[in-house]
Amino acid sequence: MPEKLRTIIVEDEELARNLMKSFLSQNDKIEIIAECENGFEGVKTINELKPDLVFLDIQMPKITGFELLELLEHKPQIIFATAYDQFAIKAFEFNAADYLLKPYSKDRLLEAVDKVFERVQKEGISSDVAERVENYPKEDFLDRVVVKDRHKIHIIPVDHIRYVESMDDYVMIYSTEGRHMKQKTMHYFEDALNPKQFVRIHRSYIVKVGEINEIQQYEKESYIVILHDKTKLKVSKTGYKNLKEVLNF
Amino acid sequence: MEFRHPFLNNPKLALFYGLFWLVSALIMMLILVFANGLGYWGAIVEVFSSIIVFAIVGTSIWYVVRFSTLENNSAVRILLSHLIAASIIVFLYMYLGVVLIKLLNPAAIEWMNRGFVNRVFGGYMMYVIYVVFFYAVNYYYSFKEKVRNEGKLIALVKEAELHALKSQINPHFLFNSLNSISSLTMTNPARAQEMVINLSQLMRYSLKHDQSEKVSFKQELENNNLYLQIEKVRFGSKLEPVFEIDENCLKAEIPNMILQPIYENAIKYGVYEATEPVEIKTVARCNGELLQIIISNPYDANVKSKKGEGIGLRNIRDRMQIIYGNPYLLKLEDNKKEFKVTLAIPQKTKQNA
Repeated sequence: MPEKLRTIIVEDEELARNLMKSFLSQNDKIEIIAECENGFEGVKTINELKPDLVFLDIQMPKITGFELLELLEHKPQIIFATAYDQFAIKAFEFNAADYLLKPYSKDRLLEAVDKVFERVQKEGISSDVAERVENYPKEDFLDRVVVKDRHKIHIIPVDHIRYVESMDDYVMIYSTEGRHMKQKTMHYFEDALNPKQFVRIHRSYIVKVGEINEIQQYEKESYIVILHDKTKLKVSKTGYKNLKEVLNF
Repeated sequence: MEFRHPFLNNPKLALFYGLFWLVSALIMMLILVFANGLGYWGAIVEVFSSIIVFAIVGTSIWYVVRFSTLENNSAVRILLSHLIAASIIVFLYMYLGVVLIKLLNPAAIEWMNRGFVNRVFGGYMMYVIYVVFFYAVNYYYSFKEKVRNEGKLIALVKEAELHALKSQINPHFLFNSLNSISSLTMTNPARAQEMVINLSQLMRYSLKHDQSEKVSFKQELENNNLYLQIEKVRFGSKLEPVFEIDENCLKAEIPNMILQPIYENAIKYGVYEATEPVEIKTVARCNGELLQIIISNPYDANVKSKKGEGIGLRNIRDRMQIIYGNPYLLKLEDNKKEFKVTLAIPQKTKQNA
């Protein structure tokens, strides 16, 4: 059992970081090992230092706190700290340890710390925060997807996505900029992408409607879709029905 | 809807009606005396039985008109009810006339019998004239009521819309600012105090909107400066406001709190997503008729999620529509590097002052 929780603060405002540090300075359960000013930095530092606990702001430059969670290889305990109360439910769906609303008191912050400390003693360090991101919350459709390959983080606007292909536990996202792998299910993307723009044409493919150039019959009851760049994708029976519905033919 | 008789509602109309028939009766009496050679008594009784009686009985036609309005009833029903009503009125008119003559001037009864058909026909004709007259009165009344209601409704809707569109200060701005203050109380109490005062002034300004729709440009500018100063405490050197204001414009009139959503937007998309200092530039020019304000900020097109015109800017457009009747006074330009908002505020000229 660790004596102290190795902690990283991910928060873009200096004053908010200072406040948190000073509230935590006397606490013997917390050891602050790093501070990050934005989400990019946060992903890199968390994957590198593998902390026990992360204090996470939600609205930050470049990528949001939730997007950051999707990119973590190491899964620490998470306490959100934000001025927005509308994300509380989503945060707990992600199995966050606690959700602090700014401005918060010192007592409230220390209460959250105690809670995490207890939880870690019961369950061990790793929380399953990032795994919970599987089911897309049905508030609004995605407008961008954040992916990470090796050391770089890419933000892909949904408008740039051409199609999505399933690959075992991953999906491959084909965009106008290239292709990127992401650890998500097809089911997630089927929910997260606007069904007026994207159609599931096959167990393995979700295609942007605007990319389709032609639908061709190649056997008695099977079809293929040909995209503007000549890419050919298989269409299943259900997929053909979906296409019919969206394109209205 | 009004069911009372217009003569009861409007004594002037009743007086005019009475006077009209009195004069008509007088003229007819004179004609009867001098042209037809009737005696004075005979003429008075004749005029009474033919004109005054109808003038009195006829007032009740209003109720027939009122209960068979043209809008809600079929033509057959209206025609039928008028035919029945007319027959009753004419019968009443004839009966009273005969009774009057028999009582007061039995000698004229034979003369009356000869003109019987003419008189019945005249009664029906009078009925038609009355109906037209009362329909006109009715139409005039409901028209006036409609105009009055519409005016009330428009005023109400406008008030409600303005209230809703009033750029309300974003609560997250407030909470984040309070968090900054919370932090400053430990490290820099003097700045914390300054921020509390700035925040209070801004809140007071945004809350007192009911008193006057418009304020001087100087006042609006000072309050937006407060807003920017508060945000500068949060964002530090990342936020760099720059002002190029023509001094002559400061007296111009402007709807209050109309600029704040523009700055809020500039901070949200320009400053918030940036890691480098961002200049938010305000340029103001004016002539006698127009105050032109241009607010621009650079932004990173790769980061900004494309969600179209935000609620803040749409609210400004709607407010401009309500206040000036022109939504095009707000212009947005986006060249994927810089976002530019141009606002043209019409100034009162002598013609429409």
